[in-house]
Amino acid sequence: MTPLYRITFLLAAFLLLGLRQGNAQTSSPPLLTLSLKEASFHDLIREVENQTRYRFYYHAADLDSVTVTVQATQKPLKEILEQAVAGTDLRFSITEQNDVLLTKGKKFVATLPDNFFQRNENLTKSKPLANEGAARQPFIPGEQDKKKAVSEAKLYVIGVKRDGATGNANLAGHLRDAKSGEPIIGASVYIQSPLLATTSDQYGYYSLTLPVGQHELLIRGIGIKNSKRRIGLYSDGKLDIEVEEDVRSLKEVLVEAEKDRNVAGMQMGMERLDMRAIKQVPTAFGETDILRVVLTLPGVKSVGEGSTGMNVRGGSTDQNLILFNDATIYNPSHLFGFFSAFNPDIVKSVELHKSNIPARYGGRLSSVLEVTTRDGNKKKFSGSGGLGLLTSRLMLEGPITKDKTSFMVAGRSTYSDWLLKKLPQETFAKSSASFYDLNAQISHEINSNNTLYVSGYLSKDKFRLGSDTLYSFANHNASVKWKHIFHNQLYSVVTGAYSNYGYGVNSEKNAVNASDMSFSMNQANLQADFNYFLNSKHTLDFGASSILYNVSPGSLKPVGSESLIMPDVLQREKALESAVYASDQIDISPHFSVYLGLRYSLFNALGPREAYTYAPNEPKTESTIVDTVSYGSGKSFATYHGPEYRISARFGLTDHSSVKMSFNRMRQYIHMLSNTATMSPTDTWKLSDANIRPQVGDQVALGYYQNFRANTVELSVEGYYKKMKDFLDYRNGATIVLNHHIETDVANAEGKAYGVEVMLKKLTGKLNGWVSYTYSRTLVRLNNPQVSELINQGEWYPSNFDKPHDVTLISNYRFSQRFSTSLNFTYSTGRPITLPIAKYQDGNVQRIFYSDRNQYRVPDYYRVDFAMNIEGNHKIKKLAHSSWTLAVYNLTGRKNPYSVYFRSEAGKIKGYKLSIFGQPIPTITYNFRF
Amino acid sequence: MRFPKNSLKTALSWLCLLFLASCEEPYAPEVVEGPNSFLVVSGFINSNGPTTIKLSRTQNLSDESAPKVQSGATVALEEENGNTFPLRETEAGTYFASALPIIGDKKYRLVISASGDRYASDYLEVKYTPTIDDITWKTDDGNLQVSVSSHDDQNNTRYYRWEFEETWEYSAYYYSVLEYVNGQMRDRDPRNQINLCWRFNNSSSIQIGNTVRLSQDVMSNFPLLSIPSNSEKLNRKYSILVKQYALTKEAYDYWEALKKNTESIGTLFDPLPTQLTGNIRSLTTPSEPVIGFMAISSVQEKRIFISRSDLPTGWGIRSQFCPFDTVKVGEEGEYFSGSGYLPVDRIYSNSMALIGYAGASSSCVDCRVFGTTQRPAYWQ
Repeated sequence: MTPLYRITFLLAAFLLLGLRQGNAQTSSPPLLTLSLKEASFHDLIREVENQTRYRFYYHAADLDSVTVTVQATQKPLKEILEQAVAGTDLRFSITEQNDVLLTKGKKFVATLPDNFFQRNENLTKSKPLANEGAARQPFIPGEQDKKKAVSEAKLYVIGVKRDGATGNANLAGHLRDAKSGEPIIGASVYIQSPLLATTSDQYGYYSLTLPVGQHELLIRGIGIKNSKRRIGLYSDGKLDIEVEEDVRSLKEVLVEAEKDRNVAGMQMGMERLDMRAIKQVPTAFGETDILRVVLTLPGVKSVGEGSTGMNVRGGSTDQNLILFNDATIYNPSHLFGFFSAFNPDIVKSVELHKSNIPARYGGRLSSVLEVTTRDGNKKKFSGSGGLGLLTSRLMLEGPITKDKTSFMVAGRSTYSDWLLKKLPQETFAKSSASFYDLNAQISHEINSNNTLYVSGYLSKDKFRLGSDTLYSFANHNASVKWKHIFHNQLYSVVTGAYSNYGYGVNSEKNAVNASDMSFSMNQANLQADFNYFLNSKHTLDFGASSILYNVSPGSLKPVGSESLIMPDVLQREKALESAVYASDQIDISPHFSVYLGLRYSLFNALGPREAYTYAPNEPKTESTIVDTVSYGSGKSFATYHGPEYRISARFGLTDHSSVKMSFNRMRQYIHMLSNTATMSPTDTWKLSDANIRPQVGDQVALGYYQNFRANTVELSVEGYYKKMKDFLDYRNGATIVLNHHIETDVANAEGKAYGVEVMLKKLTGKLNGWVSYTYSRTLVRLNNPQVSELINQGEWYPSNFDKPHDVTLISNYRFSQRFSTSLNFTYSTGRPITLPIAKYQDGNVQRIFYSDRNQYRVPDYYRVDFAMNIEGNHKIKKLAHSSWTLAVYNLTGRKNPYSVYFRSEAGKIKGYKLSIFGQPIPTITYNFRF
Repeated sequence: MRFPKNSLKTALSWLCLLFLASCEEPYAPEVVEGPNSFLVVSGFINSNGPTTIKLSRTQNLSDESAPKVQSGATVALEEENGNTFPLRETEAGTYFASALPIIGDKKYRLVISASGDRYASDYLEVKYTPTIDDITWKTDDGNLQVSVSSHDDQNNTRYYRWEFEETWEYSAYYYSVLEYVNGQMRDRDPRNQINLCWRFNNSSSIQIGNTVRLSQDVMSNFPLLSIPSNSEKLNRKYSILVKQYALTKEAYDYWEALKKNTESIGTLFDPLPTQLTGNIRSLTTPSEPVIGFMAISSVQEKRIFISRSDLPTGWGIRSQFCPFDTVKVGEEGEYFSGSGYLPVDRIYSNSMALIGYAGASSSCVDCRVFGTTQRPAYWQ
């Protein structure tokens, strides 16, 4: 723990541990004075509610045609109502809690049978009381520290009701799935009048400050049934809400959740994908692939097919912070990016922030991709899995202690080795390629205020391709999270995480050259995040974090006694990245809110290190090294720090449209070194140091959001302009691997990116999905002759992933509950490329003349995919649910170029293009869960 | 070490095959097929000797015709605020001046008029090339390593470039005592010897080095090339002529960039290709690319010889495979009338009767297949 962090933590704890109390009072039956003639029943109710604390519950339709004539002076309500309902078929009951229940035809019995509480207990546990339309049941009196609200009909009273109580009280708790006990993430919890809303966070926690009184609390979320809870809120209290899974929406695409989040939420440049949505998108190998779906979102691109590295709004592949349960993943792919490293069975949701990145995240320039896994079923043992052509997977979950502790383990592996062996060619038989990944996690609710999450992840890839060289890479991650609720409005999450990424290249065929090359890095981070729901206008987030990096940039070692390889080990790199942040979301009015965030990050490159010093104002080359300085262990020899602003605002134009804008600054202290445009297993990571400055990026974004047709159709239009400074571009002919002075082969480039993203989503109905169009440019400039040679005469040139036009359609059509199809279409402009344009004779050597960097483009890309999902029946109490997915990837068989290259053949230079999926690829997958 | 380029390509082809698709297809982007005919200027301006400048045009990548030269141009050296010294075209595309009156503290530029367009280089300073101190060689790890050393007491040179011309004495595998002329087998005329030749090779890779990191301008044993111990070059006698040029920093950067340009570029897994910006520009159409980098310097040369006897035993043994065939008397016309097969010697029976001829393919017998029997004037 750094001192800075410790101080912040303690301050926060002391300042915000305020105690809150409610007080109790009893009331006496009030008397009323009324005079109504031929008035509607609603008028009567309004009068009564104005004069007294009585609250009426009824079906509005029952009262529509009823007129009343009442004359009363200082009469109790009972008498007035008897007068009013005379001659109608309306009946009423008045409870001890001053609730008036109006029913049609049959009187509601307000007195409870003696054994009511006992029976009600049982009911609560088994099935929700969903007798819609029947009159409401009265609340259950008595003090309950924390309520678990299952029933829609019941009135949950929080605190003790008192007369004339005004002001606000806070309600907080967890949203959970009634069946599995899993938290419900990102669901809206709100009341309609006045409109006060919040969203459950990644722990399913919500906190809402409401006026004291009775409310109908509405809950909307992805894959859950729209539900409501009646509450009587009289002082701060807790209410855990269990909601039912929406079985039907199994087949309904996505973003059913947060129906008006598009317009009403602060978020912009943010997409949340539910696993349900992800599962609908066909992939090349039939396996649900998170990253593949993320790539269909506007503003997210990749250089080529089969590369997992993504470019978000013109950023390079290393500018994305990929978090898996809060641990950083450095290589999110398997098998050259044909599979993503996340097992689809355990993932709950994926959240991508493209702009307006919350202050709690930092360290990368372009985006944050947060992958959250499920908690595991807290109620019963269950599992799921799938069998595909190349991979299989299995996941098991269940309670260790019911409702308290749950576990989840999952594994996935490939049998492509087997497939390779079946191939006739000898080279393939000698090849091998395999991967696996494992997940394990436990979530434990210590008590109602403390929850602990432990998760571990391991992925490993190995491949040998017809040659003697064996490549392998692995991710190891572990994280521990402790969530502590101080009181309703304040909670903290303390996270400790460890990430390790490494690769190895082993070659043993030729004993003389037998060698082992490896790279590895690890990071340990500790962070504390606090959420403080100050009141209905302010939501504060603050915290601190610290990351200790440890990188072994590369080593080459001989293998065996005959090897003549000279050992070469680059010196280790160490650094500490720390940050503090605070942000406040201020809801000034229902139509205007702002988010003000500030993050301050500090980076120290730590010794021991032998660092080169270069002549000032000269390009850094081996020839301009003027000195070598040695720094002792733990000594900070280069420090960078700076503020990162995160500001956004939302203006509601109407109930269904809004305008949002944001300004973001990000700083990045770790850089990926790769001499290819995609992510490859041999990419290495480099920390900033005295010779490599951190990258800084600024982004402004402006968006317009509108919902149509009762929030079922969403339109968003977002424009952005982004400037990036000091990101690394390579000098010509750079050497990346085992380079002792990498700063001589890279140059600080500046970049700019701008674009407009238009997206239209239809959320419900038989036909659903989205269509998006993106226009975007991303340009790079290297124009400082003191840094490196000029590229393209120092003019702006398109980056490797500049694809101006992009159209994506993701559509699903549900024929029945058990049969649905999806059809996807993607088009994008071809990737820029530098082409050889002429040849010439120089002395006796033939040389090639190249165009300006990235002056030309490969042919445009388009692809159509089709998939069918066939489900078994939807009986909830089935032993196992299964489904078949039949998909055809690249339906039209277009040969999209993955790569274009030139070869000299018999003195002639010929161009070739390589396409990987040059024909339709059918796949079949069997999925099951139990 | 070379990865990941090739392996990843293999991986992709592997995935291709997995899906039985024909993945690699010829691809000819329009621009590559387009008419690209940019001026190429090669050579350098020699400050103390003959200057040869060659002009040519770039060709389309798929063009298989001979390199196009630029003839009929006027080429001249222009002194800054001063005189103009023309070069004359000696053969098509080659422009020559025996000695240009270059003064060390002035600046000059090359001006070219060709096909109606005017071109000029930047004004160039004159670099003096120090003499080559030594060309050394050593045998190391099965290779002959040739290195060059030089120095500049004035510490002015700093950037060096070398070219070399290799010559080696070479004998055919078999010594032929016979020749088959006009349908007759006869003893070979000694004037027609085809066993001893000289072969030549000019450097094709770019050799550059610098001393900027050193406190003194001393280039010590810069490795120029390495010859494997079983090379034919070391079979009898080997000679190398090294030419040394001093470079300006700009020229050095240009050559370095050109050197780093790899042979196949443009794939996802290759480094970005190097873009070359020379110091010659079109005055008529500034946007038109002109290829080449002009420099003014003197040139220094040095030659050494290495005999096989100087080398460790076992070196210089060739690995050429030459099977010996027997041709019966009477069948010689069938075998030896073409040029592919040559007679080596007669074959006699135990009773000393001529029964046939030994023959071998011409590459095993006739050294002229690879070289020339003309002994170079400098050969010792």
